[in-house]
Amino acid sequence: MKRNRLLAIMTGTCALAALAATAAAETSVVQWDQFSSSGATSSGPAMEALIKVCEGELKDVKINRTVAPSIGIRDAYRLAVSADKTPDLAYTWPAASVLAGYARTNKIAPLDAYYDKYKWENVTPFYRGRNSYQGKIYAVPMEQDLMGVYYNRDLFKKLGLEVPTTYAGFKDVVEKLKAASVVPIAFGNKDRWPATNTMSLLMGLSTGRANEEKVFFGDEAWTNPGFKLAAETFQQWGKDGYFPRGFNGIGVDEANALFLGGKAAMNVGGSWFLQDMARNAKFDIGVFMLPPIGDGVAPGTMWGEGSQWQISASASDAVKDAAAAYVNCLTSPANRQTWVEKGYTVPIGTTAEDLAKWNTLPLVKEFFGQGLATADSNFYDLHTTLPESVTQVLYPELQKLVGGDATPDAFLATMQDAWKVAIDKGERWAP
Amino acid sequence: MQNGRTAFLFVAPALVLYAVFVGLPILQVFAYSFFTWDSGTIRGFGGLENYTRLVADGVFWTALSHNAIWVVLTLAFPLMAGLITASILAERSPRTVRLLSVLYFLPRTIPMVVVGIIWLWIYSPIFGLLNWFLDSVGLGNLGAAWLAEPNTALLSLNIAGAWTFFGFCNIIYLAAIQSIDPSLYEAASLDGATWWQKFRFVTTPLLRSTTLFLGLYAAIEAMRFFDLVYVTTSGGPGYSTEVLTTHIYKTFFLVGDFGYAAALSVVLLAIVLSISGISYRMLRKP
Repeated sequence: MKRNRLLAIMTGTCALAALAATAAAETSVVQWDQFSSSGATSSGPAMEALIKVCEGELKDVKINRTVAPSIGIRDAYRLAVSADKTPDLAYTWPAASVLAGYARTNKIAPLDAYYDKYKWENVTPFYRGRNSYQGKIYAVPMEQDLMGVYYNRDLFKKLGLEVPTTYAGFKDVVEKLKAASVVPIAFGNKDRWPATNTMSLLMGLSTGRANEEKVFFGDEAWTNPGFKLAAETFQQWGKDGYFPRGFNGIGVDEANALFLGGKAAMNVGGSWFLQDMARNAKFDIGVFMLPPIGDGVAPGTMWGEGSQWQISASASDAVKDAAAAYVNCLTSPANRQTWVEKGYTVPIGTTAEDLAKWNTLPLVKEFFGQGLATADSNFYDLHTTLPESVTQVLYPELQKLVGGDATPDAFLATMQDAWKVAIDKGERWAP
Repeated sequence: MQNGRTAFLFVAPALVLYAVFVGLPILQVFAYSFFTWDSGTIRGFGGLENYTRLVADGVFWTALSHNAIWVVLTLAFPLMAGLITASILAERSPRTVRLLSVLYFLPRTIPMVVVGIIWLWIYSPIFGLLNWFLDSVGLGNLGAAWLAEPNTALLSLNIAGAWTFFGFCNIIYLAAIQSIDPSLYEAASLDGATWWQKFRFVTTPLLRSTTLFLGLYAAIEAMRFFDLVYVTTSGGPGYSTEVLTTHIYKTFFLVGDFGYAAALSVVLLAIVLSISGISYRMLRKP
């Protein structure tokens, strides 16, 4: 009896020791991300699948995941950072300028050594620049964000409309839609950020990437003719009935519902709505790229990474190594297919040829096929390029501009003032 | 002496909790306001820099003026309506009083976030109940994008706020009217006073302290309100519905300028404390 008890105690002790050894070898990484199951960035199923895959591949890495909705993650992350509770690994938006703020205050870790180790060649110089601050790289961008014009193909066919290839053609389509009593563009700007994306698109198409860079990274003022054309165009859209009545009081979900319900013919939106659009459209949905507005401007679209993986500077070296290995797994060529097929998210480095082979929706292939074709002339996203202090001026000023309560000149002058203050305070991000 | 010490011991737990969860955070905010911040991290000591910024901050003054307008509108409508309906209700049967006062008070029990969502649907320019109603009675030309137009947004929001505050005023006034000596009304009736004269010369003067309490309460609430605006308009369109609390929230959470947000909070605290001080002094007067 005594012998049996002794044996049981010894066996138990051995089992506990084995468990403890396993636990000691395992590195726990606290991850915050915004991949939910519905709404914008609803790539949750892909994230869940890839955590399993990567934990399987990296035997000693354990991911402790927290999902924060994309609408609130940037606020929650800022609070966590300021309280020195920065999660080990986070996937947050917006990128570039806000990332620079955390790099400037030494809250996130430089990842140059990991870039050397894992190569991450899919992250091109453009994207590396957008994730750099004063010569060091601080994040690994993953998904590609593009802007396009979703349209109701059935409605276009019914009204005998062709996809426009010039800006004049686009205006003609809008006039025909108005004549048919159809809302041309489902646009709602109560949430304030949608106008920022539309303005990013209009700025690029009015002046081109090179001229944008003269303002964002050089000394050119906002009050330049290219930006003025964009501001005038946006205001004209608001005044001339391109949008539903009261667009500044319509939420982004309501605007999307207006389009998905067949009451509006087009929706100028980003690839972050692909999941919602593809799942909920009860009609044949298509996408095209808005043609250039300014003379001599090359075709292109707004693009960027929107969000990126970043590692806490205060994490231990072991956790940093584990987080980097895990990010390497998540963004590996083999796992890109999972992001596309289960999350309708197209990781950086994915080509149109890859998409053609993979099992994803035609809309995803159509969107990225067009957006990736103009890689050399695609332009900047204001959200991720401007410091938050400027973005918080841009939001209300755009509502005033599009609502007709500020002239394009007044809008640009206010933006230039906010821009100058941000530069003086050292908040400007430059690649 | 013994009694004083015992009393202090009884009060001490609450005092400690108050000091830890109210006093210390206020001191912390006050301290934050003297530093410059970058992305939620202290950059250095700035002295009064954050306070001098207030002078040139147009958004601050716009927001403050909206708070003031909100106070005036709240005093003008819910208080007045609450007083009149309570006066009418006080003369009805107890059953009617119970039923109507519950109905009036019901919106007060709804969380402000839910109130915001309800009124968003009422004001929606696409499928809003208000525009539908105006259309159905042949007044479609009066329909508007209520929360999307700078000239109607603040007033529309105030109506939503009044909807929740009116029932509270009604209940408080009703209780106060019911405590007025009925012989005063009987005497007025014997003198041939009409309903309006009784209301004007008996009810209203005797409700002075109630009105004062409700007015100052409304003023303090008007300086502090946040959720209704944030849920419905986030301060827009432009800055049309920006109030101090939304300006503080954006400066703190979105810009990460904790120092300036703290300075704004200190100013807001000073305003609320001043109103509270005035109300305390006025309510103490017999």
